[in-house]
Amino acid sequence: MVDWGIPVGAGIAFGLGALGTGIAQSKIGAAGAGTIAEKPDLFGLMIIMVAIPETLVILGFVVATMIMIMLV
Amino acid sequence: MEYAYVNSRIRAMKSRLLDRRQLDQLINKHDIDALITELEKTPYREELERAGVQYSGVTRIEYALRKDLVRAFRNLLSFTSGEEEENLLAITLNRYDVQNIKTILRGKRIHATPGEILDCTIPAGELDEAALTELVKQPDVKSVIDLLATWGIVYSRPLTKAFKEYSDTRDMLVLEYAIDTYYYQYALATLKGGETEDHRVIRDMVITEIDISNLRTVFRVLRDQIDREDAKRYLLEGSSELGLATLLSMMKGGTLEGALKHLEHTSYQFLTQVPPEYVSAQKISAFEKELDRYLVRKGIGYFIGDPLSIAYAIAYTWAKYAEVTNIRVIARCLVSEVPEKDLREALISV
Repeated sequence: MVDWGIPVGAGIAFGLGALGTGIAQSKIGAAGAGTIAEKPDLFGLMIIMVAIPETLVILGFVVATMIMIMLV
Repeated sequence: MEYAYVNSRIRAMKSRLLDRRQLDQLINKHDIDALITELEKTPYREELERAGVQYSGVTRIEYALRKDLVRAFRNLLSFTSGEEEENLLAITLNRYDVQNIKTILRGKRIHATPGEILDCTIPAGELDEAALTELVKQPDVKSVIDLLATWGIVYSRPLTKAFKEYSDTRDMLVLEYAIDTYYYQYALATLKGGETEDHRVIRDMVITEIDISNLRTVFRVLRDQIDREDAKRYLLEGSSELGLATLLSMMKGGTLEGALKHLEHTSYQFLTQVPPEYVSAQKISAFEKELDRYLVRKGIGYFIGDPLSIAYAIAYTWAKYAEVTNIRVIARCLVSEVPEKDLREALISV
């Protein structure tokens, strides 16, 4: 019988990380757009700022992968 | 409203305001041309270049500053366009409409030229430069009020009502009080019921302005020994900290010293620190200057308010106003060769 707990756990780890990243990027993206509208020279910095929350989803992905390895 | 976007734009605009070092450099200039050269190194360059086509000297600076201020405020309004917050911001900026109408009425009363009157206006509210230009062209006070009524401007209502009394007494205070009362009551009525941080911030500033206007009236009444019953009708309602009862007791004493005692343990306690020689000489300009500084400081203080509210925009309007006022003071003092020490004292919130 398949143990659904492991893939569901991996899904939660990845999904919540992605959700958190989405929320953070929406706020930072809006603020970044406002900043670039007034100071276009800060475009590079804003790209880095928007990319920072990606770490959440990457960590979620890593944790999900480690959980899934348990299935193997 | 997406405050993250709007307040980021305002933060960027704030970063272009002059810092203390830049202001010091302006103060240290010895003539008006050197001041213009220094100002051309700041974000005022664009407007100074445009103004340079028509004007020179102090007039060039004043024209450029006015244009820059109006552009900054119009930008703020455009960020909130179509949102509920636009009405809240408009309440703050409409005080310039009231100020402009009062300036035009005063100008017409003393028969100043349209150009002179227009130079004293700041078209940052709903009445733009074209509307103000048309208003200053009117031959007298009555025609200005009639034109406002024709355009359906709300301020024409209190002015039309008060005009009969004005024509009998020729007292400009009657019209000024009518328009002030209308503006503050309209603002408070618009804010009534709103419990958000945005409403709280705007309400707080409106009430502070009412308090300051009332305190000015009380000080003038005491200095000029005006009858208390006559003066009572010129007090504005709306404040809970300095209600009508407190203001009347301040006037009842008949002296400035007595009135100041009533301000202890209120937000206006700082007025009791004004040097005694000003109090005994009844120099109310010292009190008025302190009140102006308090209003600007309070407005600018909202920079540390809720970052996701209208507080940041309100703080910016006051910071920009303070900066433009300071540059105007520097320019005027340079022309009049005022000593640096006196110049620094005349600046606000430095």
